[in-house]
Amino acid sequence: MKLLPTACPACNSQLKAKSLICAHCNTEIQGEYELPVLTRLSPEDQSFILEFIKSSGSLKEMARLLRLSYPTVRNRLDEIIERLKKTESPEENNGKENP
Amino acid sequence: MNETVNNTKTLPRRSSGQWLFNPFSFVAGYQALFLGLGIMLISAFIGFLGNTHFDGVLDVHTGLEAPLWVFLAEGIIDWMSLAIPLFFFGLIVSTSSLRIIDVFGTQVLARWPYIVTSVVMLPEANRRFGVYLISRFTSTDTSVTVGYIDMLIFIFTMLVAIIMAVWMVALMYRAYVVSCNIKGVRAIVTFIISLIGAEVLSKLSILLLFERLSGSLH
Repeated sequence: MKLLPTACPACNSQLKAKSLICAHCNTEIQGEYELPVLTRLSPEDQSFILEFIKSSGSLKEMARLLRLSYPTVRNRLDEIIERLKKTESPEENNGKENP
Repeated sequence: MNETVNNTKTLPRRSSGQWLFNPFSFVAGYQALFLGLGIMLISAFIGFLGNTHFDGVLDVHTGLEAPLWVFLAEGIIDWMSLAIPLFFFGLIVSTSSLRIIDVFGTQVLARWPYIVTSVVMLPEANRRFGVYLISRFTSTDTSVTVGYIDMLIFIFTMLVAIIMAVWMVALMYRAYVVSCNIKGVRAIVTFIISLIGAEVLSKLSILLLFERLSGSLH
């Protein structure tokens, strides 16, 4: 399956969805849609978050499953949180400029 | 569940380099603490057999005969002298939620290269050559005679001791970075300050220990 591109290959800006299509009846909707914040993370980060949710948000369980130490898993989660905050901040700025 | 996780790209590869220089990616908390305490106990016992004192966070010296508990106390003082300031720096500098068990557990495990040092310090040739060198530098007469073999063993021991000390410091730093989630300049600066402080603190504490010991022997 192809990976969802999230950044412009020319200028590296955030991409937006312009068109959505129903795979069942081919109805196509056009507009300008923001990509969900989580989709803007790398596939590795998305996979980590998915496993974290499946583990009921338990870092100890994650550490056991991934065969990593607890602080390593916690550090990885902290890094993803930082990336999410950075990803979210441009939206917040835009929101303040255009309420 | 395991299968699901194994299919993801989140599972790390455990290279030999990681095991040598950053085992804390895999081992921390109580596991590291018990493993580290076991290794400390063995190092202290080997030190007791060869009169090898770890009389400072980074120090190794051949010295006086002493009871086993002195060698154990030295290990605990060395460990605590560094782990306590690192933990406090972690609380101040890190934005992550730390666990005290990770900081203390990984720091005690980081001392494991000194088990190798305590083994290579065992041969009597080291002590003989050490006494010979002191007598040469202080121009005092001693009945100690040394041969080439003694000199070679001494040089080999010094080389191993230096390599193990460097390796141990690298492990201590990695343990700090992983357990406190501090990176870059802040990690380097706070680690160096802690290490210098710990060296002074451990030296003074062990000196006091020896004063008490000599006082109780007289």
